[in-house]
Amino acid sequence: MKKIYTVLAAILLGIGALPAQDIFMVDSSYVHFFSEATLENIEAENNKAKGLINRANSKVAFLIPIKSFEFDKELMKEHFNENYMESEKFKAATFKGQINEKINWKKEGSYIVTVTGILNVHGVKKSRTIKGKLMVKESRIRVQTKFELKLVDHDIEIPTVVFQKIAEVIDVTVDLQFSLKK
Amino acid sequence: MKHPLIVLALLVAAFNLTAQDDLLDMLEAEESIKNYKVGPTWKTMKLVNLHSTSMVKKNGLDFRVTHRFGSIGEKSGGGVHNLYGLDISDDIRISFDYGITENLQIGIGRSKYSELIDASIKYKVLAQKERKAPLTLVVLGNIATTPQQAVDTRYDDWLNTLSYFSQVIIARKFGDRFSFEFAPSLLYRNLVLKTTDADGVNAEDENVNISLGFGGRFMITKRVGIIMDYMYTFSEYRSNYRPINYYDPFGIGVEIETGGHVFHITMTNAAGIVENNYIPNTIANWGDGGIKLGFNISRVFQF
Repeated sequence: MKKIYTVLAAILLGIGALPAQDIFMVDSSYVHFFSEATLENIEAENNKAKGLINRANSKVAFLIPIKSFEFDKELMKEHFNENYMESEKFKAATFKGQINEKINWKKEGSYIVTVTGILNVHGVKKSRTIKGKLMVKESRIRVQTKFELKLVDHDIEIPTVVFQKIAEVIDVTVDLQFSLKK
Repeated sequence: MKHPLIVLALLVAAFNLTAQDDLLDMLEAEESIKNYKVGPTWKTMKLVNLHSTSMVKKNGLDFRVTHRFGSIGEKSGGGVHNLYGLDISDDIRISFDYGITENLQIGIGRSKYSELIDASIKYKVLAQKERKAPLTLVVLGNIATTPQQAVDTRYDDWLNTLSYFSQVIIARKFGDRFSFEFAPSLLYRNLVLKTTDADGVNAEDENVNISLGFGGRFMITKRVGIIMDYMYTFSEYRSNYRPINYYDPFGIGVEIETGGHVFHITMTNAAGIVENNYIPNTIANWGDGGIKLGFNISRVFQF
């Protein structure tokens, strides 16, 4: 009998560990990157990004599948995946962090926040603090940010045989919309 | 009764610990269900002699110049006086291939060898994915004509100048370095030699040639690889007619990609570049120095 109580307690504890109404999930995303290059600029869009925000502890996580970046030119997409990002091996870029500011999630409004955490691109993890805008509205959250990414920081090689010169810093724009996770 | 409960409790607890404690783990678990297409099996649409399963991308135009020099070895017509075949061009082919959709491409080409003009169509039926779809399958067909003037009246009828080639190419990419393909093929030539030669030996070529192609690539770096292919043809005429020795085309080469261009430096015993030429007519032999140096330049214009 005692055992059953322990079991029941474990189940209840398990379920109760994290109230679901605090987790927000991305339902619409836009990620864009831009790199200036000699022949033609390189840019791509991705609307397959995933993300979670936990209101209870202000923790956030984002994931961007590399193969879902769409380019104007298909050949560019192939080179991006095969030669630069090695997306067979490093399937996604991720970020996991903590919002530094105190947010009043109950109050509608727009906050400028900084998030400190680990950015993992091309399998190389870097500690970063990224500034962004956080908008709270009823049952929705929107996150917007723009940051720079240095290729050398993430061991993304630019081969010397390539005719095309590629910028060493990439501008990344992110716009994510969250709704309550069901 | 107690055991299943404990197991259930542990499962629930474990799920809560792993899945809900770490937001990123939750995202990664969700992402891991996705089944993406595996990255490119090949860099360009041909290996040495054989077609690969690679296609020109949608709205891409692949302009190719392929060249085969003469044989290197003296026994096969090479040697120092023509700089080991470099003074000779056994075949030159200029071609354009265009990607209509991601899975459909059409092309035209003109070869020096028998002045062959060919039109081709290539269609991707299946693309290899991370799970459940282990292979890429492409079908290829061409029709070719030779405007060559024969010494007799054989080519007077235009239909006699035609030949058709069809092929199913089945490929798989094994990890990031190795790709392999297998290609059953069928060549049909409207007009072939059916005669008795000067020595009274029956020389009856076949209209239909069935072949099996094998090809592979091994990447040394991300942009440089070794390519290789071999084509075996089932032909009684080719195996038995001794006045001419026929051989199976075998090719080996180095592939270099420079972002937009793909270069091949190749060695093969096949003189012709298009299947309609090299499947029935390969008479040079690696053993006798019948190896031809060649190169291939592919430049893709992406619109």
